[in-house]
Amino acid sequence: MSEQLLDCRGQACPGPVLRAKEVIDRGNVAKLSILVDNPAAKENVGRFLSRMGYEIGFLEEGGDFKVTGTRDLSTCDCRIMEEFKKEDVENRIAVIVGTDRMGKGDDTLGQKLLKSFIGTLKEMGPELWRLVLLNGGVKLTVEGSECLAELQSLQKAGISILVCGTCLGHFGLLEKKQVGETTNMLDIVTAMQTADKVVSIM
Amino acid sequence: MEEDPNLLVGRETSDDAGVYRISEDMALVQTIDFITPIVNDPYDFGRIAAANSLSDVYAMGGRPLTAMNVVCFPVKTMDKAVLREILRGGLDAVHEAGAVLVGGHSIEDPEIKFGLSVTGLVKPDKVLANAGVKPGDAIILTKPLGAGVLATAIKAGLISQKALRRAIETMATLNRKAAEIMSAYPVNGCTDVTGFGLLGHALEMAKGSRVAITLFTENVPLLPEALDAARMGLVPEGSFSNRNFCANYIVGSERIDPVLLDILADAQTSGGLLISLPQGPAESLLADLKAQGVSDAALIGRAASAQKGLIELK
Repeated sequence: MSEQLLDCRGQACPGPVLRAKEVIDRGNVAKLSILVDNPAAKENVGRFLSRMGYEIGFLEEGGDFKVTGTRDLSTCDCRIMEEFKKEDVENRIAVIVGTDRMGKGDDTLGQKLLKSFIGTLKEMGPELWRLVLLNGGVKLTVEGSECLAELQSLQKAGISILVCGTCLGHFGLLEKKQVGETTNMLDIVTAMQTADKVVSIM
Repeated sequence: MEEDPNLLVGRETSDDAGVYRISEDMALVQTIDFITPIVNDPYDFGRIAAANSLSDVYAMGGRPLTAMNVVCFPVKTMDKAVLREILRGGLDAVHEAGAVLVGGHSIEDPEIKFGLSVTGLVKPDKVLANAGVKPGDAIILTKPLGAGVLATAIKAGLISQKALRRAIETMATLNRKAAEIMSAYPVNGCTDVTGFGLLGHALEMAKGSRVAITLFTENVPLLPEALDAARMGLVPEGSFSNRNFCANYIVGSERIDPVLLDILADAQTSGGLLISLPQGPAESLLADLKAQGVSDAALIGRAASAQKGLIELK
């Protein structure tokens, strides 16, 4: 497996580092995210991942810390290939939504269209892999959004929904997000790179 | 606060042990300390825990007289041979200190803990407290740092055999020889480096003595692989807490490698003595220590007058 999430909350040092080491020792981990609940573990895990050759990013989520390590995928195509093999689906589609309305002309119409678009996305079937929301798109994830129910049902169906943390912060919506995983540009770039097809709605 | 003219060192000054005068020229030094296992071998753990407990007496300028075992052990679920080995290690250390084991107490506990309650003697005018550091003093440290991160590295299985042996022997080494050598010198202040790390204990001295202590970070002796372990993310939480706790009293930390800073704050088990004395005698003491086998000893700092206690890193 090429991408993993470890929940190490409640574990004291060196627990989280050892869990991360176990996963990395099994081999070919292009991306690893570790959730910890104290600053010491955050610092230690960050150090460990960078020592192991990972680019690291930190994200604070309601008092917890998510440390994400990514290895340069361009130098390890084998890992991407492996990930493909392990997935049943041949064509994985990442949909990037960077707006809260679709098209130009009338904004009210645009919002209706986007709601309809999100609701219809499931027709892509199992090929729909990941939905990335950024800029105005993050407004779809908060309470009161007309798209919220549709997004939650997509998430329930196993679609990974990534929500840009910087954008949430920009609009002051970090606390209001109701669906999806807060993420960073590294995740977004990796999603674009590992997908077979990227569909952008800007 | 206890009111007794014979209580020479009590709880107020965060000293290593209590000191109580029993006659004109004699005082008792009393201390107790016990720890959870930091190495896998029970005999080594016993030696280290005992050396750690005995150290508090040495740090007060005293010599240990009697010791009692303090034991927590899962008697019902664990092989008693493990306990025997721990006690054997402890007894060896007590004998090496020239003290006698006079008893002890054990309780059933799911987690192993071991240490000693130690009683020692000191001449009332030879008591070495934290708070005697004088401006102009040089500061000597007698053991290398890094035991805390290396204990974590041991748990993680990320340490070489060679570095492991070195760490164990360093921790199991009594501060006896260093203490005996320093007793011939005009020492102004002394403590041992344990749970608060070098930064924490140096800061205690600085605060108690109202001086600023400058630490020459490049001179600080380090155990092999300690920096590597810290860089690997094996810093125990307590050491991070030490670093953060001291942060407001430390000047110049931005100038040094953050990984080294973590080692300076690293919580030590059975660490070395931190000795403060005038510069001239300090150089002779250092030479003396090295000549007599305390080979890691190093001159690591200098005290200067200050409004309030603080640490400067250089």
